[in-house]
Amino acid sequence: MRFLDEFINYMSSVDAAKLFRMFWFFFIFEFFRFFLIEISTIIFWKFDSIFRKKGIADARLSLLKSQPLVSIIVPGRNEGKHIFKLVNSLKEQTYQNFELIVIDDGSDDDTAVICRNLEHNGMINAFYRNDVRGGKASAANLGLRYARGEFIVHFDADCSYDRDAIENILVPFFYNPKIGAVGGNVQVRNYKESLCATLQALEYYDTISIGRITTSELGIYRVISGAFGAFRKEALDRLGGWDIGPGLDGDITVKIRKLGYVIHFEPTAVCQTSVPVTFNRLIKQRLRWDKSLIRFRLRKHRDVFIPNDSFRFSNFISFVENVTYNLILNVKWYFYLLDMLFNFTSQLVFIVPMNIVLYTVNNFMKFLVFSPFRDRKNEGITYFLIYIPLMVFYFGYFLRIVRTTAYIQEIFFKASYKDNWNPAKSSRQAKALKL
Amino acid sequence: MSLKVVPQSIEIRNNKIEFENLLFFIIDSTSSVKIEPLIGYDAIIIDSKDADFAKLILRKIRGHYNPEFYLKPIFLINYKESKDPILQNMNDGIIHSYDQLKDIADVAKQIFLKTTQLDYQLVATFEAQMVKKVLNYMYTRDLKTLKPIPDLNSAIGYTYPEISVNFDSAEETQVLEILGWGEKEGLIWPDFFERIYLCNNCNGGFLSYREVCPHCNSSNSSAQDLVHHFPCAYIGPLSDFRNTIDNSLTCPKCNKALRHIGVDYDKPSIIHHCNNCDKNFQDFFVKAKCISCTQDIEVQYLIPKSINIYKLTKRGRTAAANGFLSSGREVEDIFGAISMPVFKTLLHYEIERIKDNTEQKSSIAIINIENILELYKKTGKKGEKSILENIVNLVRENIRTTDFIAFENSSTLYLGLINCDYLQSEADLLNLKTLIEKLIRNNFNDFEVKINFKVKLLQPFNKSEFQLDELTKELFD
Repeated sequence: MRFLDEFINYMSSVDAAKLFRMFWFFFIFEFFRFFLIEISTIIFWKFDSIFRKKGIADARLSLLKSQPLVSIIVPGRNEGKHIFKLVNSLKEQTYQNFELIVIDDGSDDDTAVICRNLEHNGMINAFYRNDVRGGKASAANLGLRYARGEFIVHFDADCSYDRDAIENILVPFFYNPKIGAVGGNVQVRNYKESLCATLQALEYYDTISIGRITTSELGIYRVISGAFGAFRKEALDRLGGWDIGPGLDGDITVKIRKLGYVIHFEPTAVCQTSVPVTFNRLIKQRLRWDKSLIRFRLRKHRDVFIPNDSFRFSNFISFVENVTYNLILNVKWYFYLLDMLFNFTSQLVFIVPMNIVLYTVNNFMKFLVFSPFRDRKNEGITYFLIYIPLMVFYFGYFLRIVRTTAYIQEIFFKASYKDNWNPAKSSRQAKALKL
Repeated sequence: MSLKVVPQSIEIRNNKIEFENLLFFIIDSTSSVKIEPLIGYDAIIIDSKDADFAKLILRKIRGHYNPEFYLKPIFLINYKESKDPILQNMNDGIIHSYDQLKDIADVAKQIFLKTTQLDYQLVATFEAQMVKKVLNYMYTRDLKTLKPIPDLNSAIGYTYPEISVNFDSAEETQVLEILGWGEKEGLIWPDFFERIYLCNNCNGGFLSYREVCPHCNSSNSSAQDLVHHFPCAYIGPLSDFRNTIDNSLTCPKCNKALRHIGVDYDKPSIIHHCNNCDKNFQDFFVKAKCISCTQDIEVQYLIPKSINIYKLTKRGRTAAANGFLSSGREVEDIFGAISMPVFKTLLHYEIERIKDNTEQKSSIAIINIENILELYKKTGKKGEKSILENIVNLVRENIRTTDFIAFENSSTLYLGLINCDYLQSEADLLNLKTLIEKLIRNNFNDFEVKINFKVKLLQPFNKSEFQLDELTKELFD
């Protein structure tokens, strides 16, 4: 109680200038970017959607009239157990003019038997198998090679989709012909399985549902999730499909942007996925994801920063925003920590809790303010409210440390080339060719 | 009258040779192919270089329903070697000149001796009769096993000469059914030899297995290796990489030349392209096209059959000489007819009844359709039952409701004709004979059945079994 009194006394004695000096990191970067910009963009988007309503309705009509063939490609390894469920759920889709192509990337379980059986029974249009594992990109490219559709929809086998998900993800192509790819809204299905999964559900709410509406509106949307994304086949054919991963989802998005297409996020095209339920697994997943920022943004696509013939301002901003808020601020956060450590040593005992309070208040505010903007909610707001105080530790500390580790591993050791997510034969070649 | 060049001690007159108390008949290429006149001869010699002619005669004799024909010793002279299993296995000896007549006479005598030891009691069904026939043949020839022989002329690809001789090559699957029946009855014991697959439409065994497109069933497809280029993750058929100018391999995505398999590229699988429907697939269907009926069948729907080497069991060896009782359930199941035990019981009651009413006259009759086995060979088991049902229907319609019918076997039936004297009964039977002949003729392409019947007045003081035996003897003797 005594500490609380002292803490309140101290904080009330601090003037605005000193408050800003002590929490500059929060005010300049976090609050500005992840609250002010997001809320203003969301409000604009909501307002703008009133005017877009007719255009969207016309686009939907146009889609349903023209009924273009859509190729759903589902690359995967040892995913046979999920395929039957997926096939059944696809029967429920409101848009039915699709061909389902499943690609088995050298599974060593019963995937081939299951899928061949489904193919023979007409439940899968085509099943292709690489007897030798080639990596997810090659599996997706095999599907693309034999796809006949005008649009390609990329699915993950272990995800499930709203019954209007395919229809909704296709509508934007008919609303704006410049759109080359559309990302779906990925939500967490297993959010009740563990604390780890619940925190990720909150994160996905923030970074995907809201974050991607914002980046899409600002024209800087940069990762179409592999779990649910739709592409013009023409665009993918021009690119020759996906390149070696990890991080191939972000890579293909950048490549499509470079072709001059607009990338769009469609919040009504909902997909549910299962996230890692243990922190160990989550760490592995995030290390892989975060390494790709260095490998693809700073190495492979560094030309985006260079003004040349193919330079596009939106691509530049997208990259700058991505690099700034992920890499630079991550490093800067440690500067902030040192700054506090050396310059406010005696007040550190108040600054740390204050920081936690600020972030927690901000998280509550964001959750409550953004909730009305979400079309879909897995659970009532109350379920998640009690977990929000944990988000500061999850997002501010846990994920930041994982990210830092990933950056160090990739910058100094090029660890992504050793990741067994990709077969060694491909990684060796990618490393040698600096891809 | 014709004379052949033979040793002086042997004279051939009108194709007949008498030798050591045996009367041989020589069938040569100029002879009639009618075999009925051969019944009086002890053995047959087929004197022909024409394998087809020799086979035709062998088939006719060995395929006959009457043991006096099918057990007859048959020898070949001037035989031009043939691979035909019937010709090779269903003769009793081959001689090169009439000097060897002594040798075949001994064989014929042995067969003749064994033939006299056989029991010819009738068995109930067509299968039973066929098995009995085979057992009799094996007994008289000292054969212990029935061996399958690969045969291009058989519809199933294998033939059992001893039993197949009774059937056209197209009806070979019936042979398997009959052998199966013999196995079920414990007369023969199977030793696995081979498994075959038959068409589910026509039972044909000549199948052409093909890899076909799962979408359109066409076998017009071409296969290509899939090539995976590691550096750019492009994957596609080899033709995507083939440079048309210099035939080198270049990646269509990144334009790099493919250098070393396993290092910068590999071939993870194969893809098929259907030239008919233009679709691509990896897992083709395997289908079997029946050469006989052209039906295209998925292999899982083919009918698997075991081809076995059959050995005579102890029961089979005894049955070969002494005959056997088959269950006869099939003929008892025919609606409108009663089983033989019931028939005998009813006959017993009738005898008791006429004992007290001497004025009352009742009759019993037996009808035997001599060559109906020939018909069953064509119709198979299902056909056999259907023919019997139709005969019973016909008989029932033309006798009184108090009369009763029972099958002794699938070619012989008994009738109990109540309050019907001999003359009336004989007239009824004559009428039935005509009707049955007409029924078969109209339904089976003018097939002429040979029907024999016998009628007897029921005697009040003789037992039913005795009277039935007397009736049967009178018919067959």
